[in-house]
Amino acid sequence: MGLPLVYVGLRAWQAGPAGIAAELLRERTLMLLANTVTLAVGVTAGACVIGVAVAWCVERSDLPGRRWWRIAASLPLAMPAFVASYAWSSVDVALQSLGGAIFVLTIVVYPLVYLPVGAALRGIDPAFEDVARSLGKGPWRTFFTVVLPQAWPALGAGALLVLTHMMAEFGALSLLRVQTFTTAIFQSYELQFDSASAALQSAVLMALCLPPAWGEMRLRRRLHVARAGRGSARRPAPAALGRLVAPAVAGFGLLLALSLGVPFAMLAYWLAVGTSAGSDLGELVPSIAGSLGLALPGAAIVVALALPLVFASVRHPGPLSRLADRLPYVVHGLPGIVVALALVFLSIRYARPLYQTALLLFLAYAMLFLPIAQSALRASIELVPPKLEELARGLGRKPFAAFTAVTLPNILPGVGAALALMVLEVMRELTATLMLVPTGVTTLATEVWSHSNDGEFAAAAPFAVLLVLVSALPVYVFTRRSTEVYDLQ
Amino acid sequence: MPHMDRRSLLKAGSCMTAAAILRHGGSHAQAATPTLTLYNGQHEKTTAALADAFTGATGIQIAIRKGSSSQLANQIIEEGDASPADVFYSEETPPLAALAKRALLSRLDKETLGQVPAAYAAGDGTWVCASLRSRVVAYNKAMVEEATLPESVLGFADPAWHDRVAYVPTSGAFLQQVVAIELMKGRDAALAWLRGLKAHGRLYPTNGAAMKAVEAGEIATALINNYYWFSIAQEVGEDNMASALFYYRNRDPGGLVTATAAGVLKSSRNQDAAQKFVAFMVSAGGQQAIVDSNAEYPVRPGIESFFPLEPFEDLNPPPVGPSDIGDAAGALTLVREAGLA
Repeated sequence: MGLPLVYVGLRAWQAGPAGIAAELLRERTLMLLANTVTLAVGVTAGACVIGVAVAWCVERSDLPGRRWWRIAASLPLAMPAFVASYAWSSVDVALQSLGGAIFVLTIVVYPLVYLPVGAALRGIDPAFEDVARSLGKGPWRTFFTVVLPQAWPALGAGALLVLTHMMAEFGALSLLRVQTFTTAIFQSYELQFDSASAALQSAVLMALCLPPAWGEMRLRRRLHVARAGRGSARRPAPAALGRLVAPAVAGFGLLLALSLGVPFAMLAYWLAVGTSAGSDLGELVPSIAGSLGLALPGAAIVVALALPLVFASVRHPGPLSRLADRLPYVVHGLPGIVVALALVFLSIRYARPLYQTALLLFLAYAMLFLPIAQSALRASIELVPPKLEELARGLGRKPFAAFTAVTLPNILPGVGAALALMVLEVMRELTATLMLVPTGVTTLATEVWSHSNDGEFAAAAPFAVLLVLVSALPVYVFTRRSTEVYDLQ
Repeated sequence: MPHMDRRSLLKAGSCMTAAAILRHGGSHAQAATPTLTLYNGQHEKTTAALADAFTGATGIQIAIRKGSSSQLANQIIEEGDASPADVFYSEETPPLAALAKRALLSRLDKETLGQVPAAYAAGDGTWVCASLRSRVVAYNKAMVEEATLPESVLGFADPAWHDRVAYVPTSGAFLQQVVAIELMKGRDAALAWLRGLKAHGRLYPTNGAAMKAVEAGEIATALINNYYWFSIAQEVGEDNMASALFYYRNRDPGGLVTATAAGVLKSSRNQDAAQKFVAFMVSAGGQQAIVDSNAEYPVRPGIESFFPLEPFEDLNPPPVGPSDIGDAAGALTLVREAGLA
């Protein structure tokens, strides 16, 4: 996990102390810093507001058709940011700006906040709210002083994920003509050979990820969500929306139209007008096979690696397990190309037979996506009482046997959710895949990239549509599983 | 009991994962049969056509790895002596010049080099050009009159063109144009041009995006390569195009001719087959396969393109060739000095 950090350090050091100072003090670095921070904070704030509002509506209000909305509101997660950005960038030039990027990215990433917060709201015992209301607090004050604090860990984890996601985002920003550290890193690799400035920019990017990762950890430590003996909480009565029903339903409709409708309409338009449409349909089957062949085992491996990390940090909190738990979040802010080049550098020198095998690519996926698996697993692991394992140990099971016999079956919904989310992330990953995939293997994402790169938008469209459709399945599974985590209790 | 089901599910899941990993390992072992590995930065369709024609002629199979030319060059540099690549086909010459500078390329066969005019091969014989393209100005016919375009590409840095010109500083061809300006007009002129573009032009991430923006009426003009216009024209029909191309025919750096090129990796264990492939690229058959699939000029005389290209003889490009441009490192210093990278 620390390997990309070492690589970035080594490469950056090539510039020498004077070179490092000169690079960091350039006017351009300041511009990149301002853009990166504005974008990350803007999208995170937007995603939190939309995510919490959506979660509350589907979990705690009498919104008509909320069972249906609960799934539908998670579907924008299936829309890769670069597809949405591509569509939106051709709707209006004004969207090709920092403000436009914040808008487009917010409406596609908010499910990363909505899903954990929604799951948390489901699990909250309404007794606390009853107490607050009986003490004379209004519904809004109750929400902000009683309900929201209980959802803090979920909100914090979701927000951190969005924040680090934005630091590493490339494709969407490039289409929307916004320059951040990540786009600058890609630019460096386009213009320069064995570049120290790209490494320096990566180092700054990682440094930017430190404060939020640390802050989220603090937030988590001050809160204790587990309760000794949950009792049996009753299902909360849904809050009546009253006159707000119509605006709420309209809002949901608008949200889906913006995040899914517009991109799909754009893809359909390209399919209709372009002549390169269908020129390459024979490639569809191998690239679906390539996508699934990498995504399924890749997801399984990442989740298998994430399990012990989360388990250790929940069961045996200490400086070491905390570091192991946090380090992936810092690396998560690194763009795929940096992680991929680090793995090229290291495997060529120390593990040559692994180079350009699927195994090395899985390692790259682990480095890129571990935190996402970690946050998906955490909720379900935190809810398993340690007493269950102690009981199994008391009955003579070895630690590992106790884990597989007692803990694992109990956290399966969480594992299912993490797997689904991983499949989703791996399927749309592009840069590390291009660099590390076994030669000749294509995926839906690499086909979308190479066709749209060559200007064959119509030829790219079926791959993009398939990518979205295939992604919808893991999103559905993820949504079902993450609600199940709490239903089981 | 549901827990029993979950446990058996787990077992089945782990077996499937193991099987999937083994299968991937297996496919890698298969790749060890003598097949040429081509790192391809050129447009996918062009390379596929070329590889098919080569396999048809020689029976040698080609495994194509795709990526952007510069990123692939960076990858080859990182791979060093252990690179799995046999041949590198780049969309522009500077990445090959960068590999040659690091002594990563073999000398090409004399016969191969002799197939093209001397200007279209590296001085040290490590790479050879495969096709040519021209820098042009794409302009939206409704937004600007051809007659009002500046007489030199240097004119686009003028405030008169504020928010009316798209440029792509991450494009290799743009860097090459900067080299040409530096060579022909001096360093100060090149720097002033870049600063002017930064102040007045609109930066786009790729040539394709800039071309699309002109076609969509988002911006009046773009400094790009000629074939981007043809790929959209092929997509929507030439008569429906809202944009047109303007060629500088006065030896201005705005009409610079740039090249795609290929070289054989020194580390390749299939030197003979690799040399054969590069020789095929500049042969009549290879050249025809290239110009049939992309609107580019052949490097070999006597090959006809069916695209309605501006005749090469009429281009009258500036006297700057791929060897003068090298790895374009000097241009990068300028671009950085102007704050564009």
